[in-house]
Amino acid sequence: MKYLVLILCFFGINFMISQDLLLEAESFDEKGGWVVDPQFIEQMGSSYLLAHGMGVPVENAQTQVNFKKNGEYKVWVRTKNWVPGEWEAPGKFQIKVNGLVLENTLGLRSGWGWEYAGAVQITNKKNTLELVDLTGFNGRCDAIYFTTSDIEPPSSVKKLATWRKTVVMEPLAPKITKKYDLVVVGGGIAGCAAAIAAAEQGLQVALIHDRPVLGGNASSEIRVHTLGIYGNFERILKKLDTEHYPNGSPEAHKDQIKRDNNVKSYENVSLFLNWRAYDAKAVENKISYVDARQTASAESIRFEAPLFVDSTGDGWIGFWAGAEFSYGRESVDQYGEEWKEHGELWSPKQPDNAVMGSSVLWRSYEAEEVAEFPEVPWAMPVARDYAKVKGEWQWEFSRNDLNQIDDAEEIRDHMLRAIYGSFGNAKKLPENANRKLEWVSYLVGKRESRRLVGDYIFTLNDAKSGRTFPDGVVEETREVDVHYQTVLEDEKNPDFISEALFYKTPKYYIPYRSLYSKNISNLFMAGRNFSTSHVGLGGPRVMRTTGQMGAAVGFAASLCKKYDVNPRDIYTGYLDEYMNLIEEQKYTPIPDSKK
Amino acid sequence: MKIIIAVILFSGLGLVWIQKTDVIPTSVSQNKTLSNKPEFFVMEWREGMVLENKPTPFFIEVETMGNQNVDILVTAHDRPVLYTADICTPVCADGECRLMYITIYWNLLGAYAGYDKVEGQTLTKHDHVEFLKQDYEKLHHLLIDDNSILKRKKIDELVLKPKESELDGVDAIAGATIAEVKESVVDGALYSCYVAWNIAHGPIKAELQEYTTSNFDNKLKGYMLMSSEVDYQMYALNSLSESEYFDYKDRIVQIFKSGIPLVRTYIVQNLPKLFWESESLQRPFWESFAEVDINNRSLLLNHIQEAPIEVLLLLASNLELMTKNQLKLYLSAIENIAMTNPDINAQLLRFAESGKHTYAYIVAEFLEEME
Ligand SMILES: Cc1cc2nc3c(=O)[nH]c(=O)nc-3n(C[C@H](O)[C@H](O)[C@H](O)COP(=O)(O)OP(=O)(O)OC[C@H]3O[C@@H](n4cnc5c(N)ncnc54)[C@H](O)[C@@H]3O)c2cc1C
Repeated sequence: MKYLVLILCFFGINFMISQDLLLEAESFDEKGGWVVDPQFIEQMGSSYLLAHGMGVPVENAQTQVNFKKNGEYKVWVRTKNWVPGEWEAPGKFQIKVNGLVLENTLGLRSGWGWEYAGAVQITNKKNTLELVDLTGFNGRCDAIYFTTSDIEPPSSVKKLATWRKTVVMEPLAPKITKKYDLVVVGGGIAGCAAAIAAAEQGLQVALIHDRPVLGGNASSEIRVHTLGIYGNFERILKKLDTEHYPNGSPEAHKDQIKRDNNVKSYENVSLFLNWRAYDAKAVENKISYVDARQTASAESIRFEAPLFVDSTGDGWIGFWAGAEFSYGRESVDQYGEEWKEHGELWSPKQPDNAVMGSSVLWRSYEAEEVAEFPEVPWAMPVARDYAKVKGEWQWEFSRNDLNQIDDAEEIRDHMLRAIYGSFGNAKKLPENANRKLEWVSYLVGKRESRRLVGDYIFTLNDAKSGRTFPDGVVEETREVDVHYQTVLEDEKNPDFISEALFYKTPKYYIPYRSLYSKNISNLFMAGRNFSTSHVGLGGPRVMRTTGQMGAAVGFAASLCKKYDVNPRDIYTGYLDEYMNLIEEQKYTPIPDSKK
Repeated sequence: MKIIIAVILFSGLGLVWIQKTDVIPTSVSQNKTLSNKPEFFVMEWREGMVLENKPTPFFIEVETMGNQNVDILVTAHDRPVLYTADICTPVCADGECRLMYITIYWNLLGAYAGYDKVEGQTLTKHDHVEFLKQDYEKLHHLLIDDNSILKRKKIDELVLKPKESELDGVDAIAGATIAEVKESVVDGALYSCYVAWNIAHGPIKAELQEYTTSNFDNKLKGYMLMSSEVDYQMYALNSLSESEYFDYKDRIVQIFKSGIPLVRTYIVQNLPKLFWESESLQRPFWESFAEVDINNRSLLLNHIQEAPIEVLLLLASNLELMTKNQLKLYLSAIENIAMTNPDINAQLLRFAESGKHTYAYIVAEFLEEME
């Protein structure tokens, strides 16, 4: 009963009499058709369960709850109506206790907070609790709170955090500490490549990743195919990359198995799947540990290491540790990244906070029989009259009042409205009578957010000129492409569709100095959060390139260990050896153990 | 093999643009006029306008056909309006070449403006089938797209290699156009489309723009600013000095109201500071709050701390237009007067209690915390 927290009430007067129990929804024994969504913990306080049924109510989630005392309990549920407005809430659900449905339908309140489900008489120690989805349209349940008192739990995120800690009496720090040579956070292609490269050089590596499968945007959960070249790291990257199937294709599953098996085959990679880092502590600009929590149970671990890799895509480790970072577009003059033909769309005269957007990929199929799709009035303000039966990379959303990290839930939800609304429109056409939704991701695939600042900031000019560097460890031939929302040119366009501007470049290189933090002495970064300008990211954000970055820092980490030095010292003192090691990768035969 | 022949010809295209100083135009343009709106045209055309052709030093050299002059079209008052060229170019597919005739127009900044058929000549597709009306339209749409996929692909990348197409069961000889391209080009006329696009969007674009800008004066600036053409507006705005922003302030407000989001953004982002220091200068922009797009509302709200009280009031009646973060920004700006200013307070209550707005709860929570 690890998930169950039973406490005596903490509010003075009720002390001794009140019984309270807080149950995190993500810790349910059986999730049924509900999925754990840990994407927005930093914003709304916790992982939650999501009824992602694409319009068909999902199977009940169920769990056992033990009560110490019998009596009447008030049941509160932390939830929200994800599209409040003049329509029925899209994501409604109910709570069942011991087979009995509680009085109130849930998922109706605006903004995350507690909704009163009803009162329940507890007469046995053991009880069954169920979440009953009513709509299949993304109802969400964060936690369930049973109390004998009349006090409503606090809704505001600030108060809630303190309250939660009091209620569950959560220790301030993880009780368990683990030590490694290298801790890699974020298991996208970049993070996986970093872990493998370091492990091959004999380092003990922890790879912390908040999903059940590896690959980030390339995973079978998001399904973006990998682009770019292998550079020096063909052998490693072939273990991780994908075939060139259309984005969103179920063929991603095959590559998923390959990738997961390959990473798991390294004995000295300790893989923490479904673990999400939530803090990093730096003392005198050196990270001493990263704390992470299991996304479904509340278990936490402190990870200590002399070196860390931030491959979270969002630069979380750097952010928590106080690393310098940038977000948004530089002014055109800052690095001289003008492309006259596309002017402000490419690079603006004044800096701003625009970035490339996030996507939710989806597809449908022709069923044998006529298939119904419900009315989705709550989706129409977004979809308007757009009618489509699948969504590729152009289904992208970015708006200057939304931050790709802080507002990621709203961005994901906006895309869900775009998808359900557009599919609903398409379903009204006779030729789509048999169309059924096959797959809609609930994970938001990001392109750009925080970019950590390194000793070198890679820009368009490095790509344009094909500039070589003594520490050029990553190489790429793919053109630079930067996206913009088509609604900027014509308000009649849907606001969730983008367009790409391609700038052809010669082969270009990224220096190692863009892959470690300028001010946090033991932090590497690999992936789209490397040190680059907004336009500079346009080329190397693709996943074989980010994979190259990962491999490059993995090898650098091995030399850091060998000489007990920091990432920067590799550039200043051990560059020849490092570049030789990189060069050798082209030829390194596959070790027997991995054949 | 047949494909390869065509490819060689077209990959040559890029190289045949010759520096204007090196070669003397082979023909001199005759005195022509344009009195009708071109058949396919993206710009506004003033009825009754008669434009006269005048030579420019520019030309497009087409392989085996020599140089084709680019003229400037001017009004009776000698004001430049368009550039134009009568193009005659070979189009080769499957080893067979034929001539394509087309008159192309560019605007003063070198952007594609439209085209006309050449009298007595039709455009043809594969097997000499003539273009239908919708084919001409499609070509026009393709030419409008300055970001077309044709821009970054060589012709041989645009057709499936026979080997692949055999797999797909499509005609192996002509080569099947890849799906993405197929959507944008005229069926059976990939090569014509490719050639036309590359002429319209070739280096001549930049040359013409440069030519205009080297003759750019206040008259032209005024003309562009008054125009409804987006790139003219943008170009003119970009050339304004701080004092000119004041001279043209009414027009700028007008563009802000009616322009596309991108131009509006440019305006808010580049308005001289003095606008935000003056109540009367900034007010008209706030008054457009309801009319402009979400992004521009955010950009306006970035200046909320500089806004006078009347603006805060005006915005209070527009709460339903604001997104979550915009509301938060607004609320933080009125924090100190939310409870004391009865008008604002009434608007907040109205909104919070309406029960139909997605973000009403933000205001409700705000009011709760204020109490
Ligand atoms: C729709 C779309 C289409 C694209 N098209 C292409 C394409 O065709 N080819 C291509 O190569 N690229 C493409 N890209 C770009 C590419 O997928 C991204 O740039 C990608 O994010 C780069 O990989 P990464 O490893 O840096 O990050 P990610 O793939 O985002 O991986 C980072 C991982 O870290 C995990 N994570 C984050 N925070 C934490 C934490 N605190 N603790 C633990 N784990 C954490 C995340 O869950 C994530 O899975 C596309 C992107 C999108 C969205």
